[in-house]
Amino acid sequence: MLPADTLAAPTAAPTRSRRRWLSPIKIAPYLFVLPNMIVFGLFTIWPAINMFNISLYDSTNGRTFRWVGFQNYAELTSNQAFLRAFTSTLVFTVAFVVLTTILATGYAILLNQSFRGRGFFRAVLFLPSLLSAVVVGLLWGWILNRTNGLLNVGLDAVGLGQPGWLIDGRLAMVVIIFVGLWIHVGFYTLIMLSGLQGIDPSVYEAAAIDGASPTQQFLSMTWPLLRPTTLVVVILATISGFQSFDFIWTLTGGGPVGATTLMVQYIYERAFESPIRYGLASAGGVILFICVFGFTLLNYLNGRRQDAA
Amino acid sequence: MTKRRTLQLAAFLTAGALALAGCAPGQPATTTEPAPGPQSAAPDAPRELTYVYFTDGPDEQATRDLIAQFEQANDAKVTLEVVPYANLEQTLQARLAGNNAPDVARVAGLGPWLEDLADLSAVKDELDGQFIAGSDAFTHDASGNPIAVFSDLTMNGPLVNVDLFEKAGVSYPKLGEKWTWDEMVAAAKQVKESQGTEYGIAIDISAHRLSTMFSQYGTTLFAGDGMEPNWDVAKGATAIEQFVTLNNDEVMPKDVFLQAGSKYAAPADVFLAQQVPVYISGNWQVASLSSKANFTWAAAPNPCAERCGGFPGGKFMVGFEQGKNVPLASEFIAFMNSAEAQTHMAVEANFLPTRNDLIEQGIEYTNRGDDMKVFLADVALTPDDTYPANFSPVFGATGREVIAEIGQVMQGGKTAQEASEAIRTVVETNAAG
Repeated sequence: MLPADTLAAPTAAPTRSRRRWLSPIKIAPYLFVLPNMIVFGLFTIWPAINMFNISLYDSTNGRTFRWVGFQNYAELTSNQAFLRAFTSTLVFTVAFVVLTTILATGYAILLNQSFRGRGFFRAVLFLPSLLSAVVVGLLWGWILNRTNGLLNVGLDAVGLGQPGWLIDGRLAMVVIIFVGLWIHVGFYTLIMLSGLQGIDPSVYEAAAIDGASPTQQFLSMTWPLLRPTTLVVVILATISGFQSFDFIWTLTGGGPVGATTLMVQYIYERAFESPIRYGLASAGGVILFICVFGFTLLNYLNGRRQDAA
Repeated sequence: MTKRRTLQLAAFLTAGALALAGCAPGQPATTTEPAPGPQSAAPDAPRELTYVYFTDGPDEQATRDLIAQFEQANDAKVTLEVVPYANLEQTLQARLAGNNAPDVARVAGLGPWLEDLADLSAVKDELDGQFIAGSDAFTHDASGNPIAVFSDLTMNGPLVNVDLFEKAGVSYPKLGEKWTWDEMVAAAKQVKESQGTEYGIAIDISAHRLSTMFSQYGTTLFAGDGMEPNWDVAKGATAIEQFVTLNNDEVMPKDVFLQAGSKYAAPADVFLAQQVPVYISGNWQVASLSSKANFTWAAAPNPCAERCGGFPGGKFMVGFEQGKNVPLASEFIAFMNSAEAQTHMAVEANFLPTRNDLIEQGIEYTNRGDDMKVFLADVALTPDDTYPANFSPVFGATGREVIAEIGQVMQGGKTAQEASEAIRTVVETNAAG
């Protein structure tokens, strides 16, 4: 027979542990986030998971579903309109991410200098990201109108003609990249600026004493020390690039002739415009998810590898 | 996170996804069951209806007037729910999915709802044979029972800026007269040059409006029961060539077409700004222009090429099987489409009637009556095959491709002949389901 205290010991420890875990101070944080998590779970996580499921069915009304397996994926990958939207999305996203990173870094370095009116310029740069994307689309639509737009009226006045910014496929792609940058660069500049301000100024003083030129300082100190912030910018810009839709919809409607139709618009049209194809739209959503997830993971792993090196 | 935990998480998510994939969302698709036949109201069925409606403007008040009459005569309550046209299909699909369908709705097409419509046999005698151009073929089910009513007709056609035509000293045809496409283009060009307008002719960017031109050049997308391919490649190519040439020559606003992307675009603003003397749209613009235009304008007869007449459109009134009181909904639909009710809608909202008796005897419009007579006269000239083309359940899907093909011709990526051949392929594919 075992002594009483040895019998009691194994049960007492978990009880104390459970009590400690259930103490108000431990539970409180979970209770605070619970309402948000319920809403997030119901309206974001669950629909996202359900999208994978629906992509294996065909439905034209959202009520009756016919199992088709991977047929929706096969249809998408052989559909010229989808392949074109996929290619356009890649072109847009790569250009958007690269240019965003370069411009945001450049602006952050400029706005990190001490000069008169710095606050004003920071505000001006950030302002477009506060505007509604729909307003931005309409605004640039008016500015870039071929015959009556502000830009072409000016260009025409100096004998440079009236380029069809929104009616020429290649120009329209350049335009949506530019407008995307105009909206978002201010936000990413702020992130880069916060990264710059986290760098200890004494390292620059030491480098200056050692005779390092501004270029050497940037390449050997600023750039490596900004790498974690750059990684955040690249990941966020990648996600934003793949998800771009609203300002493009109001600016070009995906035209001319599908030249600026990106994947989200393609998915939107399959899901919400007659003839509705929920399964096909969901399959498009899954492919978009894989793209975003894949690119983000790639950037993340690449960033970690470089940090480790 | 350790590699083992990552693998565990991945396995968990995969298992979850696979388990989920085994669960069918919604209801499994089954073969369509025959309609259950006319329903009788449950003894305690509420004498209340909900009517989902989208409005083109003054028709809303005319509808409310008629609802008040119905409520008084039938001791019933009808709740009018006005939704934007752009959200109509989503709204109805969501309500059907939530088992909360309205009793009655005004819809632009029947394709998405065919399995959900209530049998209106209770008012069959009041509906059969009363409506235009064989529309019964599309508003009745396989057993011959009515499931919808073709409730209002639209007719595409040109509107002209009379002030600009008069200032330019150019004439245009009036009611009962005709002009050809070449004559209309020549007149529009003359006014454009004389008055310095930006364009000569503008047309709404939609396959429906372009179908007017296709029909005039002798072809439609579909015929028969709406699923029979009817696209004539040679005639279609001629129409596309003409349309693209007009755009490239800046007689038509090419920018409006290409900037629309995949959205519908109506250059009504260009017409209202007096920058185009001829605007091809339809009779639904009459009420709107009469309040917005600060110049003299008029409806003109459709131009002829190989054929005359316009291209029809319209709306349907339907009841839903899920409705709480289908017999009352049937009575309401019959009432709203009686000769008296359609006359009221036509007079108050500049609608065109769909009833044969009203088309025959004519409507005395109190507002813009001369313009409405021009549209009504074009109804008589409109070829029969335009109706099944418009009613086709696959018209919308096909129309999207038509716009894309024409856009490619406009950008020099295809010839009109190649685009017309591609349209024929799309028509055949969509007709085959």
